Amino acid sequence: MRIKEHPVIDFSKKKGRKVTIYFEGKPIEAYEGEPIAEALHAAGIRVLNYTPRGRPRGLFCAIGKCSSCLMKVNGVPNVRTCITLVEDGMRVERQRGLEPLPQDYHPPKWKDATKTEGDVIIIGGGPAGMMAAISAADHGAEVILIDEQPMLGGQLVKQTHKFFGKRQQFAGVRGTKIAEILKEEIEKRRIKVFSRTSAVGLFQDGDKKMVSAVRNNKELLEFYGKAVVVATGALEKMIPFENNDLPGVYGAGAIQTLMNTYGIMPGKRVLIVGAGNVGVILAYQLIQAGVKVVAIIEAMPKIGGYFVHAAKVRRLGVPILTRHTILRAEGRDKVERAIVAKIDENWKPIPGTEKVYNVDIVALAVGLRPSIELLHQVGAQTTYVRELGGYVVRHDDMMQTTVKDIFVAGDSSGIEEATTAMLEGKIAGLAAALRVGKADLRAVNEVKKAHEELMEFRSGPFGARILEGLEKVMIK
Amino acid sequence: MKMKSKADVVVVGGGIIGLFSAYWLAKSGEEVVVIEKKYPGSGSTFRCGTGIRQQFGDYANIQMMKKSVEIWKNLGEMLEFPEFKFAQTGYLFLLYSDEEIESFSKNVRLQNKYGIPSRIITPEEAREIVPLIDISEVKAASWNPTDGKANPFLAVRGLLNALKNLNAEVYPYTEVKEILHRGNEVKGVKTSRGEIRADIILNATNAWAKILNEKLGLKFPIEPYKHQAVITEPFKYDEIKPMVISFKYGGAYLTQEVTSGGVIGGIDLKYGPTWDLTTTYKFMREIAKNFTHIIPALKYIPLIRQWAGYYAETPDHNAVIGKVREYDGYYIAAGFSGHGFMLAPAATKGIVDIILHGKSDLPMDFYDPYRFERGELREQAIQMG
Repeated sequence: MRIKEHPVIDFSKKKGRKVTIYFEGKPIEAYEGEPIAEALHAAGIRVLNYTPRGRPRGLFCAIGKCSSCLMKVNGVPNVRTCITLVEDGMRVERQRGLEPLPQDYHPPKWKDATKTEGDVIIIGGGPAGMMAAISAADHGAEVILIDEQPMLGGQLVKQTHKFFGKRQQFAGVRGTKIAEILKEEIEKRRIKVFSRTSAVGLFQDGDKKMVSAVRNNKELLEFYGKAVVVATGALEKMIPFENNDLPGVYGAGAIQTLMNTYGIMPGKRVLIVGAGNVGVILAYQLIQAGVKVVAIIEAMPKIGGYFVHAAKVRRLGVPILTRHTILRAEGRDKVERAIVAKIDENWKPIPGTEKVYNVDIVALAVGLRPSIELLHQVGAQTTYVRELGGYVVRHDDMMQTTVKDIFVAGDSSGIEEATTAMLEGKIAGLAAALRVGKADLRAVNEVKKAHEELMEFRSGPFGARILEGLEKVMIK
Repeated sequence: MKMKSKADVVVVGGGIIGLFSAYWLAKSGEEVVVIEKKYPGSGSTFRCGTGIRQQFGDYANIQMMKKSVEIWKNLGEMLEFPEFKFAQTGYLFLLYSDEEIESFSKNVRLQNKYGIPSRIITPEEAREIVPLIDISEVKAASWNPTDGKANPFLAVRGLLNALKNLNAEVYPYTEVKEILHRGNEVKGVKTSRGEIRADIILNATNAWAKILNEKLGLKFPIEPYKHQAVITEPFKYDEIKPMVISFKYGGAYLTQEVTSGGVIGGIDLKYGPTWDLTTTYKFMREIAKNFTHIIPALKYIPLIRQWAGYYAETPDHNAVIGKVREYDGYYIAAGFSGHGFMLAPAATKGIVDIILHGKSDLPMDFYDPYRFERGELREQAIQMG
């Protein structure tokens, strides 16, 4: 089902040309510009594959970071359908366990990869990466921006709420709008943007850095630069409970992608697990899209999210149950019910407190962990910091990692939020421009200013924990 | 864990060679401890290409590998660790020229002499074994169905289990700082966690062997070279059962990993001598290029991981195994040149025979540590997969 009316977004303007894809032989209506899994969801298809043990699996992260949506597309197995765009006439089939490779005896015609050179290579086109690109380009650095998604903006493209903070940090502006503004700023500059391009390796190449990437799942690209900013964001965490892999148990971000980016109804009735910022904001966005939120449950004794957001969803009649956990999801091939219970001080469910919710979606808003794979591969030192979401790379106050001339910014340097990601991106972009010899003293002053803004932002209620975490990763 | 202060034998190095040696020693009733700088398997064992083959070109490696395969086949049972399985899925060398066919035919004759059922087959037969290979350029193949592969993680786990049952102790994150000796008799080791007295020390540190040897002023030509490997996403098991090898295309070796179903493999591209273990783009690109020539359908499957490890190389690519003359009680089994995992069962049986009885029925002279100073290099072992 597709969203007909939305108070914030006009999807009729965004929709691409209508095409037909074939799901197990059956024609499905889809629109150019949307990924396969999202189009299937709109058509009511929840089960995308079966594991080798026969368990049904559906969408989970919707940004290409987990492997829950792998399907056979035109006979090729293991395709990440959540970020592979539909094409007219495409044949899509459920994958059943491990599938054979297509019988193809034609070695690919090998041609040397296209080489692109620049000063600064930025991996990730979210708020951190976009700001890094803009800042570095402003100081005359030749910038290359690589992003895996079909559109720039990272997670901003699904943030329909207005941001907090100061005016220069886009306060009062919706995330979707910020993405548009930053995209326009990037277009104004001589930044080489590569969308639908997955960076698959980060290497030292003498004094230079080399990034190998694959565009549209088939074309190998080589990028050479003097500095690299890794702004690869985060991935959604999973918590253990019975049937947590049942189709319909979705990451909060996946639900936002479906409804806010592609205008697809995620479901009819939703239970949200986690009352942090993401959980409460998601509840409000679901209500905006016309979806019933039956409850938000939270294992902690109090709500983690901003008070104003929580108050708003409560006013709209959504109960927020603290000290509650999900015991299991139930349903045949997809979520039909969720069973929750109260927990005691030892986090054990209290017998007799079970509640049954009839829902078709369980939304997990239980936190994120940094995507540090490329940094890990290139040998950057990592350390485990709970406050920042898991393993993070060590970095200094210029966002440089332990590998010289490789910088990190945004959620990939520790889970925080879009405003701080933009500020960190700015610092990393400026630092990289300085490093490649393109920027001057003005950049140093801008870094100073960005540091001050970061400090100010982190002095808020959520900052204390972040500062504690940063204390553990900072190289002094 | 509190360390013992004395033992009969101290094995330095907790890779497949050290652990397997400790296993034979403990089974013979020796009190043995294994000292490992990091964690068991972390050096080269867990980074290996998983292949186990008998298709060598000399009498010694063929016989040693024949013995190894006998042991690999029964290892799960022997260690009472049924999770471990030797997959006897064969090795398939693709041959593209008359010269290649001639040299492999010669090897096959030698292998057959020692009872290895290898044979030269037609491209069509090769395709029956691996239906996905492109045979348009292949002229023949060298095939041995009794070669195979095994998962090194499970092999190490099985050995650790067995060592525990035999009361042999393995000390991880423990580094040997000094080798204690009185005159020319070794007396034990001084480690980062204290001293252990023992009259017998086995250097099983492979790539790191020269560091330990230097503590006694000894020199055997073993140098670390960086090699790399990759693994792909998994797909249906048994599409690529044997190890497939092509010298024409990058010196590539590849097979589906026993437990995951992803393709594991590498190409012949080495760097060194070096201690650097960062991965290189060139390797990744050459893998993509060469693997897809051998099995074109691999163009549809993404690589998920690339890593580097050491080949502890000697000038003739054969290991250094035996008693060290200069110091009584000091033995070496190192420098396996990329064949440590596959050779481990027989090579360790051999060195333990030498330690306990001064001799072995296996052709251990071939790996004589002093052949280099005598200028008696062996014919270079086929160094592949």
